[in-house]
This record gives sequence, structure tokens and C-alpha cells, in this order.
Amino acid sequence: MQTLISHSERDYILRGVESNLRADGRGRLDYRQVTFETGVISQCSGSARCRLGEGTDVLVGVKVEIGQIEFDGAEEVVGSKKAKWGRVVCNVECSPIASRQFAGRGAEDYNNELTQIMELIFNGPQAGIDLEKLCIVPGDKCWVVYVDALVLDYAGNILDTIFLTTRAALYNTRVPKTVVQEVEGMMEIEVLDDVQEAERIVGWEQIPIAVTLNKIGSRHVIDATPLEELATEAKLLVSVNKRGKICGIQKSGEGSIEPSLLNEMIQKILEALDVRLQQEEEVLANSSRGGAEVGQINIQKLGFFAAT
Amino acid sequence: MDRRRIPGPETSVSPIIERSEDAKETPTLGEGDKRHDGRKVEDIRPIFLKTGLITQANGSAYIELCETKIACAIYGPRQTKLPAFSGKGNLNCDFKFASFSCAKRRSNHRDPQEKEFSQLLYEALVPSLRLDLLPKSTIDVYVSVIQNDGTASCLAAAITCASMALTDAGIEMVDQVAACAASYINDEIFIDGDFFEEQRESGSIVLSYMPSLNEITHIIQSGEVDVATTSQAVELCVDVCSKIYSVMRHSLLEPVKKQ
Repeated sequence: MQTLISHSERDYILRGVESNLRADGRGRLDYRQVTFETGVISQCSGSARCRLGEGTDVLVGVKVEIGQIEFDGAEEVVGSKKAKWGRVVCNVECSPIASRQFAGRGAEDYNNELTQIMELIFNGPQAGIDLEKLCIVPGDKCWVVYVDALVLDYAGNILDTIFLTTRAALYNTRVPKTVVQEVEGMMEIEVLDDVQEAERIVGWEQIPIAVTLNKIGSRHVIDATPLEELATEAKLLVSVNKRGKICGIQKSGEGSIEPSLLNEMIQKILEALDVRLQQEEEVLANSSRGGAEVGQINIQKLGFFAAT
Repeated sequence: MDRRRIPGPETSVSPIIERSEDAKETPTLGEGDKRHDGRKVEDIRPIFLKTGLITQANGSAYIELCETKIACAIYGPRQTKLPAFSGKGNLNCDFKFASFSCAKRRSNHRDPQEKEFSQLLYEALVPSLRLDLLPKSTIDVYVSVIQNDGTASCLAAAITCASMALTDAGIEMVDQVAACAASYINDEIFIDGDFFEEQRESGSIVLSYMPSLNEITHIIQSGEVDVATTSQAVELCVDVCSKIYSVMRHSLLEPVKKQ
């Protein structure tokens, strides 16, 4: 997984960050342009694709399936609450077509790392999704929301893009209606095929997104390129929802952070996230179901891989 | 009498199990702001910490926080088996829950959570070590959880324990790492929550910290939490880590003084 960076390249990045000018002309806290597309995979209950500038390309497919409710290992008081909860299961796969570094076994650990961060934020009530609404038969059956992210192209900052795309995909998701009947003591579930009847996931507005800050030298940058990621000492991912509450924090990388700098970084991320969320909402509000709707720039679509 | 025949009715109905709605919730905070085990919210469980209990290892440590029991062993530094050249030493962390350590039985294969914890352990320890002094070598850190009483606090204890074991192995480091966990329950911060509290929490934080250098080596937080509460928790955890650090120093110096 690890790729090397030369001392002079590292120095170049470090000085650039110090003087608030990065190799591609951006400032420290500037994002690259984002392109959205929803409803791209017809096999899914909901899907979205997101491109960051000319590079990172993430595709998220959401599938809802009926599964078992899991509440074992919990005490009865806690278990009775969990017996009414649906589940969200996340998985991230970095396709080897995106970058050579995703080939082989090293990618497995990286995939697992990304998946665990997704689970940290989406698996539980903090994800905003109304889990009780996903329950079909309490204590037995529920809807399981499978969120699968596929990284198609890599130009840095995968995690932020995954979260952005996941939110759009969950917005796009429709859960079929069910009718539960009791037949001879057994619960029988009937799933209605009518597409018109299918409903959006309740509570999608509160689904959080995340921003990563990369600590380079004593400064920090947003939306790092692959080279900047190699020069990064420590990364801090903070996830926030629309209410302005923190839904997850994770530090990664091999460096350490001073407590005062940590607070400053969290504040910076909160400001950046506020803007992000508003932008995404605007784009999603304009988009309609099924059509390839794209935010911020008008693009001419030629094929699946020609979004720009 | 024919025992092969079951003298039951021809048609039977399986019972419908209903979970009682009004099962009494045990309060997380009792009289005089005492927790269910008599601690206050900012108190940690008593720590037992000892180094050098595993004879074959280059360094080892054992930590016990009431019901949480973790052992850690260090093997190395030794010549690396990786084919690629590396100017820095390689830290290989392996976090393992014993199959009987949790409420639910764990399989003996490495599951995703153990892989994640191995990664977190690596990220928490690596800022403290002088790996640049050990080119072409590998240090193996094996953490084995014998009993788990609260997963977040278990990870924190494992980080503390591994840092002690690395010290015991004489690996050069800039500072020791102390780690502390906290649970968020009803907008209150419970330091070092156990399994009982973890079941009722809405979120948790694990913070590892180098007290002499005043640097945070790792932080991970879950659950929906206020910004203010988060920074309060970070401050609290930093304080507690300093307390844990004094325990670590004490247990390192004690055997030396006795000699």
C-alpha cells in the first residue's frame, strides 16, 4: 500500500502548504470541484456517483434486503430496544483499476480500514437514519441497508468522497413497502412491487458527511492529492450532521497532534462541513429520480467513464 | 409403555415470546452521583499493571482493570522478513480477543474488528517510537485480551499495556503512551465505562496521549455528540491519561527500587 515520496518532493509540498499555495493552485482549505450523479445503477435501490476534480471517482450502490434483526449479546433492557432496529451494513472496495497500490493483498487492509470508518459512522442511531422505521417484524425481520462503495479512480481524499456519495445514494434510495400478515401463528411478509409506493429512507436529512484534514508540517490542508497524502503526518476525519453535532472522529496516520491543534482542526472542519452540506443539499434538491443530474458544472455525458 | 411415541396433542402452536416492555432500567447514576459500581463519573477503575511476566518475550506487560484483563508481549527488534527495503523499522501489531473473552463467543480467525484494533494500536503507538533508529527490522506487538469488560475501554487498556511492554523491551521511544476511554450517556461523560455502561451509551471516545510531550497520538469517537461535549471529553481524557501515566511510571520504577 505504501508508496514512496522523495525528500525534495516532500519539501516542495511542505513549503507550498506553508505559503498557502498548493501545486494545483488551491489554497490550504480549498476543495476541488465536485460532480454528482444519482440513480446510475438500475439494479440498486439507490445509487450515486461522485467525481472530485479530474480525479477521484467513487460509486456507491445501496441495496435494501430483508434480514434478521441482531440483538444478541445484549441485556434485556437494551435488547428490547435493539429488537426494533433495522441495520446498516457498509463495505468499501478500492478497485485495482483505480490505482496500482490497490492491487494485491495490501489493499485488503486498506479496504478494511475504510469499511470500519464507514461502520463507525453509519452503524447506529448517529447515522440519522430512523432505524425503527426499517423494522418489519420486531425481534425477527428488518430491512438491512447494504451500502457498498466502489472506488473507480484515485486522486486522493477517498474517504470524504465516499461519505459525500453515500449521502447522495441514500437520498436516492427507495425502500419497498411491506404488508405483514399473521397466518397460523407465523408472520408472513409481502413486499409490494409497486415502485410508486416505495418510500425514501426516513431521516436521510440527518445523514452525516465527513471532512478529512491532513496535517502537513504545522499546517493542515483539506482535500489532499495523493502526493500530499504521502507527505501527511497525521489525518483527522470528523463527521458532522445537519444539526451540527459530531457523529464520529478518527485520527489516522503515523504522526501525533497537540491538544490545542486538535481543537483548532475540529473547528476548521466544522466550518468546511457546513458549506459542503449546503452545497450538496442544493444539488440533490435540483436532481430528479432516475435522470443523470449533475451539480455545479454542466457536463456532457458520453459514457460511464466520460463525466467531464 | 411405548416410549417412542410422544403423547402430545396432534396440533400444537408454538408460544409467542414477548419481551417485557416495562423491564426496569437500572439507572446509570445512582445516589450521590455514584455509578453502578460505586465510582464517580470522572473516576477510572483501579489499575493493576506489571511488566515482564512472559518469560520468552523481549518485553511484556499485563494490565487489569477489574474485569478487563489484557496481556501484551513484544518480540524483536529482529531482521525484517519483508522483501522491500525500509529505512525505518516496521511495527507489526496484532490484536486478538480470546474466543471466550466476550459475551458472545468469538471465532479464532481474525475478524474485521480485530484487524481494525490492530491498525488503531499501530497508529496510537507509532508516534512515540524512534523507528528511524531501527532500519531493516521488525518489532512484533502481540496483544491478547483474556477478558473483555467494555470494548472501548479494552482498546484503551491495550494501548497503555502495549506501550508498557515496549518500554520493558527497551525499544527507544520519545515518550510513553497512555490511553483512556469514555462513554457518553445522557449527555454526560463517563470515564472508563465498563460493559454495563457501554450497553447504555450513545457514543464513546478513545484517546491516547503522550503526557510528557503533550501530544495526542490517536483519537477515535463514535456516536452523535455536541462539539462542546467533545472538547470537554478530550480535556477530561487528557487529564485521566496523565493519571494513568503516573501509574505506569510507578509500576516501572517499583521493581527497580526493590533490587
